[in-house]
Amino acid sequence: MRILAVEDEPDLLASLLRSLRDEGYATDGAADGPDGLFKAENFEYDAIILDLMLPGMDGWEVLRRLRRTKKTPVLILTARDAVRDRVTGLDTGADDYLVKPFDLDELLARLRALIRRAASQVESRIQVGQVVINTASRTVTRGGEEIPLTAREYALVEFLALHQGKLITRSMLYDHLFDENDATLSNLLDVHISNIRKKLGHDFITTRRGQGYCIESPL
Amino acid sequence: MIFNSLRWGIQAWYGLILVAVLTGFGLTAYHVAYDGQLRRLDRELEGQLAALSRPGPPERPPENRQPGERPFPGDWRRNSFEAAFLSRLRETIEQFGAGVDGRTNAYYAVVWDAQGAFVARSAGAPADVPAPALLQTSPIPADPEPGAVEPPRMRMVPPQPPQARTRGEVREVFRHEFFGHSLLVGRSLEPEMAAMRHLALWLLAAGSGVLALGLAGGWWVATRAIRPIEAISAAATKISSGDLTQRIPTTSTQSELGRLVEVLNSTFARLETAFAQQVRFTADASHELRTPVAVVISQTQSALARERSPEEYRQSLEACHRAAQRMRNLTQSLLHLARLDGRQEPVQKKPCDLADIARECADLVQPLAVEHAVTVHRDLNAAACFGDPDRLAQVATNLLTNAIQFNRHRGEIRVSTRTENGVAMLSVHDTGIGIPAEDLPHVFERFYRVDKSRSRGHGHVGLGLAISKAIADAHGGTFELTSEPGQGSTFTLKLPTRR
Repeated sequence: MRILAVEDEPDLLASLLRSLRDEGYATDGAADGPDGLFKAENFEYDAIILDLMLPGMDGWEVLRRLRRTKKTPVLILTARDAVRDRVTGLDTGADDYLVKPFDLDELLARLRALIRRAASQVESRIQVGQVVINTASRTVTRGGEEIPLTAREYALVEFLALHQGKLITRSMLYDHLFDENDATLSNLLDVHISNIRKKLGHDFITTRRGQGYCIESPL
Repeated sequence: MIFNSLRWGIQAWYGLILVAVLTGFGLTAYHVAYDGQLRRLDRELEGQLAALSRPGPPERPPENRQPGERPFPGDWRRNSFEAAFLSRLRETIEQFGAGVDGRTNAYYAVVWDAQGAFVARSAGAPADVPAPALLQTSPIPADPEPGAVEPPRMRMVPPQPPQARTRGEVREVFRHEFFGHSLLVGRSLEPEMAAMRHLALWLLAAGSGVLALGLAGGWWVATRAIRPIEAISAAATKISSGDLTQRIPTTSTQSELGRLVEVLNSTFARLETAFAQQVRFTADASHELRTPVAVVISQTQSALARERSPEEYRQSLEACHRAAQRMRNLTQSLLHLARLDGRQEPVQKKPCDLADIARECADLVQPLAVEHAVTVHRDLNAAACFGDPDRLAQVATNLLTNAIQFNRHRGEIRVSTRTENGVAMLSVHDTGIGIPAEDLPHVFERFYRVDKSRSRGHGHVGLGLAISKAIADAHGGTFELTSEPGQGSTFTLKLPTRR
């Protein structure tokens, strides 16, 4: 999962990015409107956290322009809490609205919900055969037994599971699992896939040669 | 409650005045009509009187008279003539009015002799008609001795005007005739009184109608007059219950109420503006506090979520420290403003010189100017004024700090003081980006920022100019601001030189 945080207060941005990375998200940050819009338009994010009072271009404008090309879920994070602001925000195309000061746990939970909804998943529990992925606790169990995964491995499993039955290309995985700071070595993905297969079984992920990967739908 | 109502008050007074006017008018009309009736009756009576006062035989016309013959035949000796005259008069009187008994409008006549003794009355005359007062004339000369040669002179009374009197229900006209005897003609007033009663009823009816119409019209006028007051009251009620957008509808701006409505509307507008400013100020203040609080919460939550390296802890603590500093600046500024607003700390005014204050402040901000590569030029002339040096220094420091931080790299600042026309002035000119014209009227507003987030990084809370303005106000001074985008801005503080 890859997330963009647009926030002009550097200390707040830093703590946001740190917490998101702790959660295993690939995260990018932007400190002003134009930079945020550029990144949002040119990279594949699973969710965007957007402040409204931004230098250069305010959050409303960023959101308005982004909505012309992309449907990326956007969570507005702002100190403006008037009902009018919230309504305008949601009407402009925001998917959620959180008022500062906020609780990190709540922010993360709302982000998970946004990502789930974008993938048309309603519950935080995704079952693939014997494997159960709990997106709230970020754990994976197989036959009731918890399987320890690294953050990156978990992110890969979650992304594939959220898009069950769909073909996920390697570039999509790179786009969604690695942020701009990651040195994306081409074989890194193969190493992660191999590790996951060792832990969850070889059949868990199907390889479509030359195309990508897929978790087959149980149907 | 009715008696406290303005409309009822107006109506009551109006009704009273109308009743008084109508009553006065009615009484006057009644009297004029009555007088007219009496005068007409008097003329009739006088006609009757004139007819009676020459009892037959008729006066002989001159052409039928012998030369030297008198107009009246008979014995021209005084007593016998008078007696003959009176006896003829008596006959005439006694025949007067015969055959008209029982008619209320019948005339009657009474005659008295010169001594006031009753002589005769007509048939319909009441028995108790009092004799009119005797004519005051020179005493009647006594009859000459019998056998005197000289015949007695005729005792004649000069012609008298007829007099009228009202006695109960009758009207009488009398006149002293030439022998001194009094002749009276009277008639009952009954027909006149009946007419007057009729008139009185008409007047009453017409008066009541006019009164009713007048009261209705008055009610209409009062209602119309009070309608704007009710509109004012309705609007004021809504405003007092919190709807500050209410205005009183204006119909005419020329009338007294129209001017009042204008004054009230402008008052309401100012009230609404002040209220809106207050609400926005509170919202802005809490908004300004939210971001640093968000920093503290998210930094601490993120740092405490798991074991961190000492370097990460240090970074989190530094971020929290910065946020706390910002909150401290903000709360101090807010407190400062609140005190200036509430006049809790009156400014300690004393004679001071803006030049000294500007010099000290320029020295103070010099390191900051060096840091931003900004040159500060000084043009300090004596500008004695009366004020609080500490507060004025706060203003000067604020202006200088702004001029440095909003200046371009290698920019310049000119700080000058002078006295002009009894006004002490402190000007700070910078070569910064300037302020767009649409923002000029707002830069002294609390939390107003030209660029919504540009100043955040400087630790500004958006209250510096608002505080400077409040300090200037407390000194009875003003601020002037000129700016050309791209060229720079000039802030000028003007203070009165005397207390």
